[in-house]
Amino acid sequence: MEEAPRQSYSNKERSDIFNNEFLPHINSMYNFGYRLTLDRDDAKDLVQDTYLKAYRFIESFQKGTNAKAWLFRILKNSFINDYRKKSKEPSKVDYQEVETYYNSEDVDRQITPDLRVEALQDMIGDEISNALNALDVDFRTVIILCDLEGFKYEEMAKILDIPIGTVRSRLHRARQLLKEKLSEYAKQMGYKNT
Amino acid sequence: MSQPSNPFILANGTKPSCMEMLQLILDGEASSEQKEYFSSHMDKCMPCFKSYHVDNKIKELIKSKCCGGQVPADLVDQIKAMISQQTIS
Repeated sequence: MEEAPRQSYSNKERSDIFNNEFLPHINSMYNFGYRLTLDRDDAKDLVQDTYLKAYRFIESFQKGTNAKAWLFRILKNSFINDYRKKSKEPSKVDYQEVETYYNSEDVDRQITPDLRVEALQDMIGDEISNALNALDVDFRTVIILCDLEGFKYEEMAKILDIPIGTVRSRLHRARQLLKEKLSEYAKQMGYKNT
Repeated sequence: MSQPSNPFILANGTKPSCMEMLQLILDGEASSEQKEYFSSHMDKCMPCFKSYHVDNKIKELIKSKCCGGQVPADLVDQIKAMISQQTIS
């Protein structure tokens, strides 16, 4: 995260940090990689790459600090710098538009998709997962970090290199879009909007 | 009795919308003062009451349904092997 003073670790310390502080997060890391790339092989490569980088840069990591956030940040950067460039998929989100949208006074009046808890309870298959995957990657990312991984706004801001205000507005928009998807599913399942 | 002042009001005087308040509550970013305020606000605000339960449910579902499946069994070993190769060379 911040430029921490470079640490100096013995080989034993390096492997301890790696095994005890980095590797326990592999499940979350793999899922994050998968949700970013939507491909299991790419996710595997991304995670592998992230761990190699983490080891290479281990001296910028301060023992006992938030390893998970540090690793997530490396993975996110690898995704943007290596993977996204390779796949040549430009970011489709116009953040200016998102911000304006969020700050406009219409936000509360704008129709929140009417979704009921009962409909959600019936979504026992892949509906949620598919709805999440259908969101643009930047929106997907904030939901994963917040709802699944439980990062605080401040940590998310550091992982994503964006101000906290942007974390909040992006999350807000992401949830709105997710609800729209879910209410489509609910309609298909026969729930009428009441 | 006078209305307790809204602890969500920002330093610059902006009053956040219902949805902005709700988001802070759901994400565990609200102070205890804000939580208290919101819980009594929800008694009077039907849209907040409804959204609170729906949004909470969605959060719950994401937790239980989106955790991504098994990490490939050989991944950890592969990573370790690549690192020990690096270290030796």
